Amino acid sequence: MSKKTHHSTVSRRDFMKMLGVGAGAVGLGAAGYSSGFSDLDEMMDSPLAERKLPFWVKEVDEPTVKIDWDNMEIFQGPENTLFNPASWENQQDYFDIYNRNIQSTREKVQNNVPGHSLRDRALADANCWGWGGRSGADLAAPWDGAHVQANPQWEHPTMYYTPEQYGVPKYEGKPEENSRMLRTAGRILGASDMGFVKLDERTKKLLWGKITFEDVEKGYAEPEKNKFVLPNKNLWAICSVIPQSLWMQRYTERMSWASSNTMSYSRANIYANRLSVFLRGLGYQSYGGDTESVGRLVGFGVMSGMGEYGRAGILVSPQWGTDIRTVLVTITDLPLAVTKPIDAGITKFCKVCKKCAEMCPSGAISMEDEPFWGGDTPSQAKGIKGWYMDNKKCYSYMLGGEPDCSRCQTVCPFTKFDEAVLHDLIRLSIGSAPLLNSAIRKMDDVFGYGEEPDLNETPWDLDPLDIPIYGLDKSRS
Amino acid sequence: MKLASWTWFWYVLVGFIMGGGAVLIWNTLKNVSLKLVWYEWILLVIIFITFMFMSQTFIASFIEYEPRAAWLTLVFMGIPILIMTVALFRSLNKRYVADKRGQK
Repeated sequence: MSKKTHHSTVSRRDFMKMLGVGAGAVGLGAAGYSSGFSDLDEMMDSPLAERKLPFWVKEVDEPTVKIDWDNMEIFQGPENTLFNPASWENQQDYFDIYNRNIQSTREKVQNNVPGHSLRDRALADANCWGWGGRSGADLAAPWDGAHVQANPQWEHPTMYYTPEQYGVPKYEGKPEENSRMLRTAGRILGASDMGFVKLDERTKKLLWGKITFEDVEKGYAEPEKNKFVLPNKNLWAICSVIPQSLWMQRYTERMSWASSNTMSYSRANIYANRLSVFLRGLGYQSYGGDTESVGRLVGFGVMSGMGEYGRAGILVSPQWGTDIRTVLVTITDLPLAVTKPIDAGITKFCKVCKKCAEMCPSGAISMEDEPFWGGDTPSQAKGIKGWYMDNKKCYSYMLGGEPDCSRCQTVCPFTKFDEAVLHDLIRLSIGSAPLLNSAIRKMDDVFGYGEEPDLNETPWDLDPLDIPIYGLDKSRS
Repeated sequence: MKLASWTWFWYVLVGFIMGGGAVLIWNTLKNVSLKLVWYEWILLVIIFITFMFMSQTFIASFIEYEPRAAWLTLVFMGIPILIMTVALFRSLNKRYVADKRGQK
């Protein structure tokens, strides 16, 4: 007689929940797993559709940052964001800093400054390839997805076939199955985590204002007219967390050597193409391109539960802290089960922590205890009660002749290599006992976390086999 | 030295120390014909768990390039372990001495 084996669908989080509600609930839960679902809502509420979050992370109906959806400001495009000239009242200031950066970088290369020597610059540029505006290295997919096609004269003649070419209907699955499938594919293609947001009247406000909806079967773009069109039908935003190397961030004062962040953008562009090809292969549409194509990424990250809104105005993930480069957003018509916002106590912790603000060399991050409604400057969005960064101070420091900087990300107490079990216990405490937050912040300092490593250490002197491939160490991936 | 590649070695070493400690305690108690009472059992289990936790954090902190965190972990967890160990020893010694007197 063959023995049938089952893989458990009960996550650690489920298990803890079950401990709380007792054996009766376990029985009911087991009955729920084995029976069919009477409708879609019931199915989406089932544990089968749940993400496997750490057990101290709660899913919530509304994000921990207050959002006034009725008065939510829609940004026209990425030109409204922090580091773009359009958000500066006096654009000459922006370009003065820009020119100072060219001058100071040239001087550093000429003077062979460690981290900024010619070989450091060459490696940094090599790291960035795949991303880079109009540099000729940009691999970003077009708005309507990667344009690939099968090559019949190649040794892989069916590579890039569509379902029509195979003579089969497009892939059909329940939304929960599709979400799970995408999460699996996402990990293989290069995302740390993935969440899903249904585009509705509220979440459409997170898209750039230049994106419009038309009654067409397939969206299109006319970039020369700054026109980007989505089809008027059910659409979902796939929110993929693109990892950033914390190992490289150790050399944050020598970012021109490491280029941890720019390398992540490069991987994001490659990933976006891969995801687009995957959706195309299933028979579905995808829209996006690069990290700046769709809309406000922190907003989508918050709504999809990839993290919470942090003091530095960037997303803080319960697993990876602020050391993630971006939430890459891809729009698709593949039906997906949405993921909810989360509450891991992060925004509450930010109120008392302030480490990023204290350690910010430019003083750009707010020291206010409580979040506040923004909208005072072009780069601030009306409708979000958060903390807002002074983009001019940040940009001036980063490009104004000082070393490049990602210090707010590196020093965040949530940003840790994940070898020590202690970090999980700290996160558990932050998520469940906010009274200890202040003490946790103090201990983070005492233990030396977030301090700059010895500037005399140079990665060129390391055993190459000690360097994690792509800088992505296994403890954080 | 590639500390991360040698992680297994450090954890095996901790295992040997804990295993050796357990055998030593077991044999000593057997030799002096003492049995642990319930609160001594609790203390012993807490000592073992804390030692295990401290060792993991100590090793992992070096792998995380955080030597200060590693050494401070020894201080912050090592001192309570020492205090609990002394308390356990004193409790056992007290009963051992009392037993000896009773025998006389």
